[in-house]
Amino acid sequence: MTHLTMEQLVALRTPGSEPGTAEAEAHLRACPECARELDRLHQRVARLRALPALRPSRDHFAVVAARVRHDRRQVRVRRAGIGALALAASLLLAVVGHDLLSPTAAAASDQLTAVMAESATLEQALRQLRSEERVTDAYTTHAVASLEDRIADLDRQLGQAQMRGGAADEGALLTLWRERVGLMDALVDVHVTRARNVGL
Amino acid sequence: MTRALVVDSYLLSDAESVVARVRVGDPAALEILYRAYEAPVFNLARRICRSVEDAEDVLQDTFFEVYRSIGQYRGDGPLWGWIRRVAASKALMRLRRNKYRETDELHDDAHPFRREDTPLRMDLEAALERLPETSRAVVWLHDVEGYTHEEIAGMMDRTASFSKSQLSRAHARLRSWLGEESRT
Repeated sequence: MTHLTMEQLVALRTPGSEPGTAEAEAHLRACPECARELDRLHQRVARLRALPALRPSRDHFAVVAARVRHDRRQVRVRRAGIGALALAASLLLAVVGHDLLSPTAAAASDQLTAVMAESATLEQALRQLRSEERVTDAYTTHAVASLEDRIADLDRQLGQAQMRGGAADEGALLTLWRERVGLMDALVDVHVTRARNVGL
Repeated sequence: MTRALVVDSYLLSDAESVVARVRVGDPAALEILYRAYEAPVFNLARRICRSVEDAEDVLQDTFFEVYRSIGQYRGDGPLWGWIRRVAASKALMRLRRNKYRETDELHDDAHPFRREDTPLRMDLEAALERLPETSRAVVWLHDVEGYTHEEIAGMMDRTASFSKSQLSRAHARLRSWLGEESRT
């Protein structure tokens, strides 16, 4: 007598799902050994379900909360960055328009344009790195959060500079944008180093 | 009442209001969710992943995903069912990412135990641990968590036949390792 295979026995646990179930059931009624085997299968599954629950050795919520805060900061920074870029661009237009004939002002405006372009390039690189969603350790999360806080603060200052307006603030604006580029550069470095460390 | 509903009512009686608070960004509500479901999520992750470290990463990834995707939970099923699905996906993603030494088949030489190292009779915990990752994941998801082969296939990006085959082969192995008597 050919006994039921494990595949047939497993299929009998979910009746009606497989062709040939009727024949297998008929065999089962006639074969006490296969009936015992099915019983053992049921018991094994019951024992699997009764295995003790495994628990983490330490609390991980702090890491989850840090990742959530980091994510929220990124959203805020992205929004503030876009706003600051738009405000600064409008300021730049006003300055360039007002001092069109001044060579000194034109040079300063060129510098500002270059720094803003550099900032935009770094912003794009960061978006790419962030989109890859790698696992982050607590130290990196802290370093990234700290840099993003400082960038958000700079963006607020850029917004205030725009509110004051006028050519007198152009130097301050250039300084702020340069500082922003430096921080963005550091942030890209952190992300690249993290990516390298996790071997991806 | 489904198993997931039972788990919900046992772990978090006011799930609806907690979910609503998580949706509007209340960090305290996220912590309530975490405290309620931390243990079952970790248990699922640990049963599927090879190492504690991987399971801990899955635990973190799962709750981060819960925070980010809570808007997708419509409340038309048990919350535990939804969180469990996120956890299972993350655990399976971890298996794929780690590229563990396993193919579709159960090969003795595909895992770290040599045949001569295998004791004549193992306990269930050890036997489960000894299964290759994919087989163990299928056994756990099907037999313990109650997913269908079609659902497992969807999560693993494989076919239902693959899941069935993994399950029956895994049970044949478990039966042998557990020293259960064989049919004549």
